[in-house]
Amino acid sequence: MSDTTTGDVATEAQEEAPEVDEVRQGWLGTLTEALGDAVVGSHVAPGRGLWVRVSRDSWFDAAEAAKDLLGCTLFDFLSAIDWMPSPWGRYEDSSVDVGIKPFDPSASFATGVAGGDTRFQVFCHLANVRGRDGQRADVIFKADLPDDDLRVRSLVPLFGGANWHERECWEMFGITFDGHPGLRHLYLPGEFEGYPLRKDFPLLARLVKPWPGIVDVEPMPGEPAAAEDAEGGANGDGEQS
Amino acid sequence: MTVTERQQRAYVDAQAADARVNVELETDEGMTLNIGPQHPATHGTLRVVAKLDGEQVVWADVVAGYMHRGYEKLAEVRTFPQVTTLVNRIDWLGSFANEVPFILAAEQLMEIEAPARARHIRTILFEMARVANITLFLGDLGAQLGAVTPVFYAFRDREHVLDQIEAVTGGRFHPNFDRIGGLKDDLPKGWIADTKAVMERIRSFCDQVEELLFGNEIFEARTRGVGVVPAEVALSYGLTGASIRGSGVDWDLRRDGGVIGLAHGDVDWKVWTHPDGDCFARCWVRLQETREATKIVDQLCDGLPGGPIMAKVPRIIKVPEGEAYVETENPLGAMGYYVVSRGDLGPFRVKIRSASFSNVSILPWLLRGVYVPDIITILASLYFILGDIDR
Amino acid sequence: MGLVESGKLPKPLTSLLNTARKYSLWAYQWGLACCAIEMGAAFASPRYDVMRLGVIPLPASPRQADVVVISGTVTDKMVPAIKRLYEQMADPKYVISMGACTNCGGPYWDSYSVTKGVDQVVPVDVYIPGCPPRPEALLEGIVLLQQRIGREDPAERWRGDPLVVQ
Repeated sequence: MSDTTTGDVATEAQEEAPEVDEVRQGWLGTLTEALGDAVVGSHVAPGRGLWVRVSRDSWFDAAEAAKDLLGCTLFDFLSAIDWMPSPWGRYEDSSVDVGIKPFDPSASFATGVAGGDTRFQVFCHLANVRGRDGQRADVIFKADLPDDDLRVRSLVPLFGGANWHERECWEMFGITFDGHPGLRHLYLPGEFEGYPLRKDFPLLARLVKPWPGIVDVEPMPGEPAAAEDAEGGANGDGEQS
Repeated sequence: MTVTERQQRAYVDAQAADARVNVELETDEGMTLNIGPQHPATHGTLRVVAKLDGEQVVWADVVAGYMHRGYEKLAEVRTFPQVTTLVNRIDWLGSFANEVPFILAAEQLMEIEAPARARHIRTILFEMARVANITLFLGDLGAQLGAVTPVFYAFRDREHVLDQIEAVTGGRFHPNFDRIGGLKDDLPKGWIADTKAVMERIRSFCDQVEELLFGNEIFEARTRGVGVVPAEVALSYGLTGASIRGSGVDWDLRRDGGVIGLAHGDVDWKVWTHPDGDCFARCWVRLQETREATKIVDQLCDGLPGGPIMAKVPRIIKVPEGEAYVETENPLGAMGYYVVSRGDLGPFRVKIRSASFSNVSILPWLLRGVYVPDIITILASLYFILGDIDR
Repeated sequence: MGLVESGKLPKPLTSLLNTARKYSLWAYQWGLACCAIEMGAAFASPRYDVMRLGVIPLPASPRQADVVVISGTVTDKMVPAIKRLYEQMADPKYVISMGACTNCGGPYWDSYSVTKGVDQVVPVDVYIPGCPPRPEALLEGIVLLQQRIGREDPAERWRGDPLVVQ
């Protein structure tokens, strides 16, 4: 059984021994017991959430295990993450825009909590709202999808609500769900070409006219003129210390 | 009489537009009825296509996407404060409530906790957003069923709530007031007393609506037993909020969600449920929730702690790497933001879990076998906002 | 050739005709998004009552409407419906574009599914900026439209020539 807890901000920030979330570890234990090798990664953020990364082939079984063993009958959402950084950054034309990591196509992109190796990850959140043994389990499942075969089994037989979420995921990312009653466009008109939420789908309006970022920097009231970067957004921040 | 070129062009355009919008009207198997996308009853641009057999619906489909603005893609090219502004407009009636889960997710990633005063005021505005949202629902509910009067009461009393929100934030809707680490400004002088008076007004509005609508036998006949959603089906479709509490599930994220950053734990309030699962149950639960929200606001106004309104936050906000998911009990249901950050000025990916998306996804299942007037009743009781469905 | 199209009506009569038209506008509210709520506040709330300007809301169908107030984001999917409903209106008809989204795409100017302004689809007479514009702003827009109608030449409109928006 592989049980990797990747360090995250929630646990690293404490000087003492990181707190152990017994309850969530218990849920994780139930799932790893049921799924065995299928669990390839996990992450517990104490008091916050439980992430479990499963292999693509056991996507359906993982959801079934959560539903039967943890009582997670609420289907919250299902979507995907495209981990490739956008080739155009934020399409900005400005020299005062600091902090953007320039696109490095040779670097392998880092993936998030619970690890991950591929560009596309499908993830879903299931929750138990009725409570079982005084606990209300909720778990976020993730699965890596190989680039050349963007398919995964559909959860519609388990949860009726997966229907719309999977349709949206298909039209936004191009991920096919095997066993879905009818994958067709949900949001976009029928003639739309492309998968908008993929990072290599450009926002044409921004390519045509890039956003200039901050063009004039005004000093905060009471401060001397600060001529440095101040990318605080077009509406100003009003942060008071 | 010759047909002018302009008329010819207009005809061709109309045919082309027809081809994209039209659905066959009459076949041997029955009639196909197209409700929307522009229809007074659909709270916006929702399209319901129903195949009828006489007066009963045999098959129904919902065509959404007429208000799809691409929030998740737009959020990737904006900084965190810019996304806060944008995100106001998802559920455009309870606008402050949209910002809250996003800001809480960002605060979770930054490991910042807002000071107590900010948390309390955030909760006050959150509940006032709920009041503003649901009072419009109560007014519109009457309009959907044919009673036009409650609409005017709703708009009249809602104006006072919007006045109060405007006094604090500067905007009647889309306040754009929440910031990572706190709020933008403190309350103006005299606001607390005014708000309590307004909440009293809203309570009297709720009483009026209860008398006008809920006691009316036509309303009862049209909503009781209509559109029954069993709890298990509701859960599998992801229904949340009043729609699921109207089916008897006792779950409210304000109490059960473990959300840090709002002050619901400091006040005394009740979660309302109704076992029936029909339209009446859902509407009734919302009415009670509005009253409860006014009581929460009253209690929070009484016990408002002093202190700073904003935690120490760097001037340029760069949120550290990580993923966070925060869900709160918004007026429409459970709204959540899954924020993936790569240490940048803006989010890497934002997945918006909007309540109405799931609430409406049950319609194809729910509308089978109902009568045509009941379609409108069911749409009214499920209560969605198009921006929330289509993001 | 009718009396009005021929242009032979004397000035006082045409200005009387215009005055009658501008104070009896039947407004079709095309409420799509957040601006629809402000439009609703202007039309239905007793504080920003729009009926005092002579504008009545809620025509039974677009064929009976004089002016359409398009408020809220216009997406590419919605455009055929807008075009169709605009063409169903009878001349002389006017369009008020309310809010930043209908004016130019607004906060969603860079989206892949939003039309950058409804004037790409229908000719617009009055643009009301704001996000959302206050109900008073909508009232001001209606007053501007009324001033415009008052200055119009009915002969041109009645003839059915292509509209020139100044």
